[in-house]
Amino acid sequence: MARAGLLGLLLALGRVFQAWAGLSPPATLDGHGWQSPVDCARANELCAAEPGCSSSFRTLRQCLAGRDHNTLLGNKECRLALEVLQGSALHGCRCRRRMKKELSCLQIYWSLHLGLAGGAEFYEASPYEPISSPLSDAFRLASIVSGTDSAAASRSNPCLDAAKACNLSNDCKKLRSNYISTCNKEVSATEHCNRRKCRKALRHFFDRVPSAYSYRLLFCPCKNQACAERRRQTIVPDCSYQEREKPNCLTLRSHCRAETFCRSRLADFHTNCQTFLTSCSRDNYQACLDSYTGLIGLDLTPNYVDASFSNPVISPWCSCQGSGNMEEECEKFLKDFTENACLRNAIQAFGNGTDLTFSRKAPPQPLLTLPPAIGRASALPYSVNDSSLVDNTSVSITCTSRQESGAQVNQSKEQSLCSSEKSLTTALMPEQKTLVETKGSGNQLSFTGTVSAVLFLLVKMAM
Amino acid sequence: NRMKRAKARHKPCSLKELEVTISELGLGYNSDETVLFRYCSGTCDSAVRNYDISLKHVRSMRKIRKEKVRARPCCRPLSYDDDVSFLDTGNRYYTVNEVSAKECGCV
Repeated sequence: MARAGLLGLLLALGRVFQAWAGLSPPATLDGHGWQSPVDCARANELCAAEPGCSSSFRTLRQCLAGRDHNTLLGNKECRLALEVLQGSALHGCRCRRRMKKELSCLQIYWSLHLGLAGGAEFYEASPYEPISSPLSDAFRLASIVSGTDSAAASRSNPCLDAAKACNLSNDCKKLRSNYISTCNKEVSATEHCNRRKCRKALRHFFDRVPSAYSYRLLFCPCKNQACAERRRQTIVPDCSYQEREKPNCLTLRSHCRAETFCRSRLADFHTNCQTFLTSCSRDNYQACLDSYTGLIGLDLTPNYVDASFSNPVISPWCSCQGSGNMEEECEKFLKDFTENACLRNAIQAFGNGTDLTFSRKAPPQPLLTLPPAIGRASALPYSVNDSSLVDNTSVSITCTSRQESGAQVNQSKEQSLCSSEKSLTTALMPEQKTLVETKGSGNQLSFTGTVSAVLFLLVKMAM
Repeated sequence: NRMKRAKARHKPCSLKELEVTISELGLGYNSDETVLFRYCSGTCDSAVRNYDISLKHVRSMRKIRKEKVRARPCCRPLSYDDDVSFLDTGNRYYTVNEVSAKECGCV
């Protein structure tokens, strides 16, 4: 009796600890929490009002100019400036996509971040605030729009439906026409289009048009080649994507990292489309699709490599030829596009979401019911709100629907995806998740893990 | 029912719209993409000016015989919609302008 009471008390204590860990202020999350305090532009204003902070920031910017990270840390003055800034509002600040002064916000972010990290990592943390509601506008609106399509004939080509939906909206039609005519305009006999202007028009389109329209064009679910070719053509790849030569991917990456926007969007892609098991590290499909779309019109513009509908492969226009001793790193970089289960599932989930009738016919069956203590909710305290919807439904829908339409799809591959989801979720423990998580949230998660471990020991001792 | 039809025919000049495919526009392009085709339709009775009355009268007096004249205002687009771009069945992009009306008036 007493033992049971003690056990209950300890468990309750554990809950409190976990809740506390989940609610802890963003500062302790190292800027990786989903509640970010102030954006960097605002933080910079706050810093400018403080003499100590503003002079330190000036010093750091001078330190960063033309020097590498180690010499920066070797300089006492630079190190001191960095320490002062870590205590200021600038530390942990983020930016929002399409915010006013986005570029200057990002520049402020990177000047501090590069001082801290040196900018030599394979994956960089996203300077953008995380998107907290996964099933937002695009997913919901897309379903509404597609619900109005009744013609059975048009059902065979969802990409054509997407074009129709865009054409029927004045804004979407105007901006689509704007990028298409820009990208399709012949400049001279030698230059068949103005790539720079084309990409700019594309960025404008994806920035301005609601994702309910743009996602439908980009991620329409195809069951035949005509559809898949239309999907591939969405960004006018002849002008915006392909080039006569294929550069090395690492060269392309370093070009991208030299440019604030591209660097930020790439870091955002790496953060949101990182594969964890068969899902996304942040358990947020919308965030992954957003980050992917954010790369279009930049140096690393990704696209479908061909008109394959059963096994669509996405890649930037680059290869790993001529990588020398960096071959492995190059392949790793490229595979985050070409063999990315998170991105692939996000696209598939979007496709299924647009087809309301389909998902109704096959009600989502939870693959596994996990006891709450070891479920994802406790493993990822900060994303409880984010993931509850996507987590339990979309993944399993994707799974069952793929098995249903297995006749057309590469069956062995798809099924292995489904079964790996089943077997791996059983083994999911907070500690294991910690290993794969990005650095910042790792701190917090390992703390939760430690608490659980300590409690576990205590319970053992009590027995 | 006849009254209804008669009434419909006497609606004043205004902008109407219809969903049609690019192929149906008859411009020689082959594409299944659907666009919104806006056109001008309706009567211009209230827009009759002294010019129209006079022209009709002068013509009836057979003072104008050989020329083709129009003694009635016409419901026509005053301005046109933005360009329309589309992908045709051969997977080529095209952009066409002044396909669809934006504003109608009696001229």
